[in-house]
Amino acid sequence: MVKVGAYEVPEGLYYSKDFEWIKIEGEKVHMGITDYAQKSLREIVYAELPSVGTVVKQGEPYGTLESVKAVSDLVAAVSGTIEEVNDEVQSKPETLNEDPYVKGWLIVVKASNLEAELANLMDFNKAVEWHKAQAQSK
Amino acid sequence: MTRRIIVIGANAAGVEAASAARKKDRTAEITLITQEKNAGYSRCGLPFVIGGQIQSFHDLIVYPPAYFQMLKLNLRNETKATAINTKEKTVTVVDKAGATEVLPYDSLVIATGADSFIPPIKGREKPGILSLRGIEDGEKIDAEVKAGAKSAVIMGAGLIGLEVGVGLMEKGLKVTVVEMLPQILPQLLDADMAKLVQEHLEEKGMRILISKGVEEFLGEDKVTAVMAGGEKIEADIFVSAFGVRANTKLAVDAGIPLGETRAIKTNSRMETDVRDVYAVGDCAEAPNIITHRPMCAQLGTIAVRQGKVAGTNAGGDYSQFTGILASAVTRLFEIEAGNTGLTETAAARNRIEVVTGAITSKTKADYFPGAKPIKIKLVVEKESQRIVGGQVIGGEEVTQRINCLSFAIQKGMTARELAKADTAYAPPLCETWEPMVLAAEMVLMKLR
Repeated sequence: MVKVGAYEVPEGLYYSKDFEWIKIEGEKVHMGITDYAQKSLREIVYAELPSVGTVVKQGEPYGTLESVKAVSDLVAAVSGTIEEVNDEVQSKPETLNEDPYVKGWLIVVKASNLEAELANLMDFNKAVEWHKAQAQSK
Repeated sequence: MTRRIIVIGANAAGVEAASAARKKDRTAEITLITQEKNAGYSRCGLPFVIGGQIQSFHDLIVYPPAYFQMLKLNLRNETKATAINTKEKTVTVVDKAGATEVLPYDSLVIATGADSFIPPIKGREKPGILSLRGIEDGEKIDAEVKAGAKSAVIMGAGLIGLEVGVGLMEKGLKVTVVEMLPQILPQLLDADMAKLVQEHLEEKGMRILISKGVEEFLGEDKVTAVMAGGEKIEADIFVSAFGVRANTKLAVDAGIPLGETRAIKTNSRMETDVRDVYAVGDCAEAPNIITHRPMCAQLGTIAVRQGKVAGTNAGGDYSQFTGILASAVTRLFEIEAGNTGLTETAAARNRIEVVTGAITSKTKADYFPGAKPIKIKLVVEKESQRIVGGQVIGGEEVTQRINCLSFAIQKGMTARELAKADTAYAPPLCETWEPMVLAAEMVLMKLR
């Protein structure tokens, strides 16, 4: 785990420029939002997530997060079919603010094109650089 | 069909409007246009960068680029809106490279803000008169300080003038403040309360000239001195803090009517006289809650509240702006001062008859170490006995009392009700009798 400015960037994940992370465990991919995203949105009060079985596509929205001041689409970091949805973040959206990388995962997908799509994501080192650039241009 | 929303201006009011619009319409195409390089930063924080409490102007940016991206707000910075066509429903913009584009809208929010102005004083065209409106203004003042400026003249003793003055003193400059009116903070406080603030500032070494207008700017190539009250005052920096004026040119050219304060006229939905065109923040006027007369308070809190209302309406939903009390606070060295509603002076100007009560107390139990003085002045309308204004000056604990009085005024609370209020007490935190309650009792005694 490194901290870029105020934002945490853990190792071992891949990141999208739409503020999402993924954690790969074989075909199973956990997906969630970054610390930078939750800090930009501030206190999240509502998470609208699709149901199990829904097909998501890389770069396309699959749900929304709403805070007191903001609302943002969730943009899928990889394509696949949803196998699990985190009920806890729907009943307790503050989990996303408290622990975006572990307890605050949003969905688990069975990835359909992981190998090819990884090329569009940032690994840890690239993500650290990207977060630095974001903090700079703040 | 996708709704197209354009917001002109991307600071307090503009960003708030765009965010509120996005919350109501998830698919709308929302475009923010700003002439400035930076969007979504806090103007109110500028004096504290000059004073050094905040490290850099960059730190004032409240909304990072991620925010705009996550909300899908299309931000066009360094772009100038040059014309609005309300018939065709378009806005003409020119970008940094000089390219012109005509953008269609379904709803338009004008949040063009205000610019500082210098009254017609002899020599005002000379270079070297600075102001503090945006980051770039702040950087100019900062550059002068870094270049070794030793002294400054601030013209105008309002909130901005005094905050900049204090900031420059914290950087070691000798500061003279020139105010035409017979008191400092004339919008915020009555003269009796303002005197306490003035004494504190003078103790700290600020030179304050009241009842003295700036008569002339002197200097060959640039301003090197001012004539004020017949005295020639030389300095290295000159800051114009006379006040700001609503930026209404775009609206006027488009035939959008102004109101009696010369700011853009709005209805309770923050909509102008032209349908689907809203105006918010420092360029718009709206009614004062007590006088019901339009006013242009030019405060950040008003800007964001109006922005939210206009954005909600522009996004196809419904929201009303409930009016202005112009609650405001400031801190100058070790003293905090604030007001909500009408001062006694403003009440008189509006021909509202009032009774006032003023109580001096402490911010902790009198015997508790570190207790600081605090003074409350309550302004109560004579006939209804309703609270219409409150001023607080103290070493600490001012802001939440101002907010408390603001809530009371908005709920139409009477002095009698406030005198019976249930308040908290612990020696390290406050006095047994809350001074606001005592001030209400004083008013009741005077009303007997």
